[in-house]
Amino acid sequence: MRNILTITNYTFREALSRKIFLTFFGVSSLVLLVFAILFLSVSIEDMMPVVQTNGRNPFDDVIPKLTEFFKTFIVVPLYGGGLFLSIFSVSSFIPNMLEKGSIDLLLSKPVSRNQIILGKFFGGSVMVLVNVAYLVIGIWFLIGLKFGDWGIGMFYAIITITFTFMVLYSLIILVGILTRSSILAMMITYLLFFIFSPILAARDNIYILFDNKFVEFIIDAIYYTLPKTQELGSITADLARGSGIEEMQPVLTSFLFMILTLGLAIITFNKKDY
Amino acid sequence: MQLSKAIEVSNLTKIYKARKKTGDVLALDDFSLSVDTGQIFGLLGPNGAGKTTFVKILLGITNATVGGGAILGQPISNYTVRSRIGYLPENHKYPPYLNAEELLIYFAKLCSYDNGKLNQRIDELLAMVKMARWKKVKIKKYSKGMMQRLGLALSLINEPDIVFLDEPTDGVDPIGRKEIRDILIDLKNRGKTIFVNSHLLSEVELISDRVAILHHGKLVRDGSVDELTTAKELYEIEVLGEPDEALFNTGSTVSLVSHKDTKYTVKLDSVENLNELVDSLRNNGILIKSINPKKQSLEELFINTIKDKDDQKL
Repeated sequence: MRNILTITNYTFREALSRKIFLTFFGVSSLVLLVFAILFLSVSIEDMMPVVQTNGRNPFDDVIPKLTEFFKTFIVVPLYGGGLFLSIFSVSSFIPNMLEKGSIDLLLSKPVSRNQIILGKFFGGSVMVLVNVAYLVIGIWFLIGLKFGDWGIGMFYAIITITFTFMVLYSLIILVGILTRSSILAMMITYLLFFIFSPILAARDNIYILFDNKFVEFIIDAIYYTLPKTQELGSITADLARGSGIEEMQPVLTSFLFMILTLGLAIITFNKKDY
Repeated sequence: MQLSKAIEVSNLTKIYKARKKTGDVLALDDFSLSVDTGQIFGLLGPNGAGKTTFVKILLGITNATVGGGAILGQPISNYTVRSRIGYLPENHKYPPYLNAEELLIYFAKLCSYDNGKLNQRIDELLAMVKMARWKKVKIKKYSKGMMQRLGLALSLINEPDIVFLDEPTDGVDPIGRKEIRDILIDLKNRGKTIFVNSHLLSEVELISDRVAILHHGKLVRDGSVDELTTAKELYEIEVLGEPDEALFNTGSTVSLVSHKDTKYTVKLDSVENLNELVDSLRNNGILIKSINPKKQSLEELFINTIKDKDDQKL
């Protein structure tokens, strides 16, 4: 456990040393600053006429809708953009570690190969968790101050975004070990995240095109095997808005994908010669 | 005195599976070796002989195809034994975002070396390798020689019982090399085992107690430096005056190899032949001043051994 924590710590430090992490942090800070200025300079209550109808203000519903809008406005781009930057920033972790002279040194220490992979996995995940938490908690605080909405539903976005990252990061680790190429690891993950997952999420439309049971079976098999980042994005937005999770299947199958991919990465790493 | 074994491997074979076109590579071929504790051991061999593969197998970086062994009495598959091992790889690459102190702390933690005196240990090691004033400077600013010095400090951070050094003086200036040699000799005097892979044979000769020569994955010579560099068949005989060279060519068993001033180097098959030659010289009135077994340098030994093996193969 101690070894995993040490490698996690130093992987986090490696992430800190990268400009991309600082870019992520800088963009998050800028977003918070923009919202702080917006909330300070625009008084929403002042803009709303107070008309009492049977003792009820018809604009009472506006504030919850506004907070919901701001939450969605932050969480949805954060899911896409944050994960895009995160994938970019961690894709070289494994290929860098596997470079001649670097891996020799690490493997010559009293650390098992399983611990090395788990340390790298948790290190990258902590990096994303910290960055996402910084932005989400910042926005939550500003919304709370402005609208008095202190509901913690938005915090679930921290968990779901980090979870989605962990699922994709397991794939980056596996491809990194197999190919030692950060570009390939990044490309495959982007392909899955931006192309395959949205297409497979709309697979009902593909069935109409083919009208073939076998094709349907194949597409279903691919759908249930691969992680469902499109659905996880929707779940993130729903949770931020305060709705619950309608279907757990995307979470469970994506979790299973992560475990299997990480397991495969560890087995492959244990068998390799360096 | 019976010395315990720091390294003991038997019948180690490593085959690197390759793509179809190139074919498999036999890096180690039924290789057996043992190294006693408290020695400086030099492993020599031409490029591709299997030296680095051997060290990598010992350290769990590469897996053996067949065979196994033990380090410090523990099977090489037991990774926990590496807390007692130090390693300086040939082409080391350190995280450039760390400074020397941070790097040493990182690897000390990985070795579970934390006896409350880590800071003191770091200061001592950096002073020893003349890197104290670079302690807080990021590694990316270091020269090759500085990286090598830091690598040596890093290999010793956990107070290891055995240290593996792959080309330890690579990129280091002559004064630095001497300093590194002194450090290694000091470590040996403190009971540590040092295992050196190096192409600089003159340096290995200066510090090693024992050497082994590896060629095409096979052990071809193994012994103490004195034993190996003493050419058994060659003797240098110094005489008074300048006798006829023919006196030193007494048939097929004794032949003159070279002659300089009053020193004659002869090749003999046995000690009996040497005594016969001495008798012959004395019978001819030649006064013998000295007789010494001819020494060859480690480099000569290495080149001759490799050449012999290659000739046998042809």
